[in-house]
Amino acid sequence: MIEFVTRRVVQGGIVLFLVSLLTFFMINLAPGGPSSLIDMQSTAAERQARLARFGLDRPVHERYVTWLAGALRGDLGTSINQGLPVSSLLRQRIVPTVVLAATSLLLAAAFGIVLGVIAALHRDRWPDHVVSTISTLGMSIPNFWLGIVVIIVFAVNLGWLPASGSASIGRGFDLGDRIRHLILPAGVLAFSLMPNVVRVTRAALLEMMASDFVRTARAKGLVERVVLVKHTVRNAMVPVVAMLGLVATVLFSGSVVIESVFGWAGIGRLAIEAANGRDYPVILGVTLLAGAIVVGINLAVDLLYAVVDPRIRHD
Amino acid sequence: MTDAAATIAAPPPPRARPRLLRKILRQPLGIFAFVLLVVLTVTVIIGPGLVPHSPSRTDARSILQPPSATHWLGTDELGRDVFARVLAGGRVSLSVGLFSMLVGLTLGLTIGGLAGYFGGRVESLLMRLVDAFMAIPSFFLILVIITSFGNAPTTIIVTVGIGFWAQMARVAHAEFKRFRHHDFVEASRALGGTHVRVMARHILPQVMPQATVLATLGVGWAILTEAALSYLGLGIQPPLASWGNMLQNAQGYLWRAPVLAIWPGAFIAVTVLAFNLLGNALRDVLDPRS
Repeated sequence: MIEFVTRRVVQGGIVLFLVSLLTFFMINLAPGGPSSLIDMQSTAAERQARLARFGLDRPVHERYVTWLAGALRGDLGTSINQGLPVSSLLRQRIVPTVVLAATSLLLAAAFGIVLGVIAALHRDRWPDHVVSTISTLGMSIPNFWLGIVVIIVFAVNLGWLPASGSASIGRGFDLGDRIRHLILPAGVLAFSLMPNVVRVTRAALLEMMASDFVRTARAKGLVERVVLVKHTVRNAMVPVVAMLGLVATVLFSGSVVIESVFGWAGIGRLAIEAANGRDYPVILGVTLLAGAIVVGINLAVDLLYAVVDPRIRHD
Repeated sequence: MTDAAATIAAPPPPRARPRLLRKILRQPLGIFAFVLLVVLTVTVIIGPGLVPHSPSRTDARSILQPPSATHWLGTDELGRDVFARVLAGGRVSLSVGLFSMLVGLTLGLTIGGLAGYFGGRVESLLMRLVDAFMAIPSFFLILVIITSFGNAPTTIIVTVGIGFWAQMARVAHAEFKRFRHHDFVEASRALGGTHVRVMARHILPQVMPQATVLATLGVGWAILTEAALSYLGLGIQPPLASWGNMLQNAQGYLWRAPVLAIWPGAFIAVTVLAFNLLGNALRDVLDPRS
């Protein structure tokens, strides 16, 4: 088990290192990279001074080493546009993103598992078709458009819920107010995540239902409800939990867009602002953080999986 | 000799045609989706020539008009005909989707194929690269590339394709690895077939059904991604219309003209839905293992 853990941690470290290498060199070697920020109108001395200020006067591999060494200590440089350390920007923006992402994931998992179980139990009959229609729609409808539509319906026409932001301005912490702001973005994000959960739940459950131990359970005369709940659904949850690691990547991509639709001040919004403002240190920091979170979640899921299912450790 | 190689190396004979046809006929939703996509493609290709309005001509006297006989879907904030813009935007969105998928498909099949076929050090190196790409949420990766390389339409096509290639590479890797030691591969090698020949002539056709399914679903994903990028102001830039940047425009008028936001999104949704339905139907027809 220790060997397995070490191997997975090392693998995760390598992937993360590649992520940093990839993003750093892509950004710094591109024709429109950071050096283009230096104004062409300025005198040679001014340009030299600015290059030096951003550390751009040194060769790119040296800069990478410095940047990586800093990143390992939690120092990701300074935002060009905001003049603040990237790490403190990230710390400030990660909280709203985690709130939104966790709520959406919870909603998607809850509804997705229930719908997946319903679909599997009624395979090829109408409930299965209804569920598959819902998840195909969830996959096809652009989440930002759905966001706009629910804003038109619930904020513009009905006036029930706020259209944007994560809290009303000028009020202290008010849980009810926070929740009212969370409903629309979390609901929309959950709707686009749900198809993944439904698909895996349904497939896992169908596989379990065809397995020998379920047949044995039936054969020895267990009540159908006990067979389903205790034997089938519980075992089918293993791959579902494993898949949640994959959903984390989708979740991140989705939250970038949804945060912009609903003016939610998280790291997705920060990434867009940075991309529009060509704020290279921030883009790098956000991408590295996202990569780290994804690698971390996958690692956690792998370890959890190995604890639940010992066969995994030996492959 | 090459003929002999081909005969020996030939995979199990393809299923009889009537059975394939019957399988296709059992997918009414897939057929519907296919017809819809053909109609849509033809419409966006020849449509703009038939509509009397130009997608970019502004008209200060008729801004934000509701749908009427002259302007089928109304006009936007600059008095441009929304229907003409939806058609022009469809051209952009569909072609970006299609070409991005081709970029991702080519990259993924090549890299994944090489990794799976050769194994060993090549495999571990290439697959670690794939892992790294998979670890960056695709949207962040795309943001990084667009921030660095700008947002000309070709750049966007390549970028969206890069967001998709890693997934393709995983599948190609698994499939090439599966067939690597099959008899037909060894036979072709023994008869003097080069690695390139074995990969392209013998293994690739085996992988094509799965690749076709993934590619079809990939077009839908690419259209969604391009639309999201353009909606965020990072993709196709105005005055060139795309479904995504029309939505961005419309968000400024949610209170005055909410209907402006409905059309481009509805077109995206229907197109992506059609690609997903077609992809699922193709999976049922082409992929014997599911």
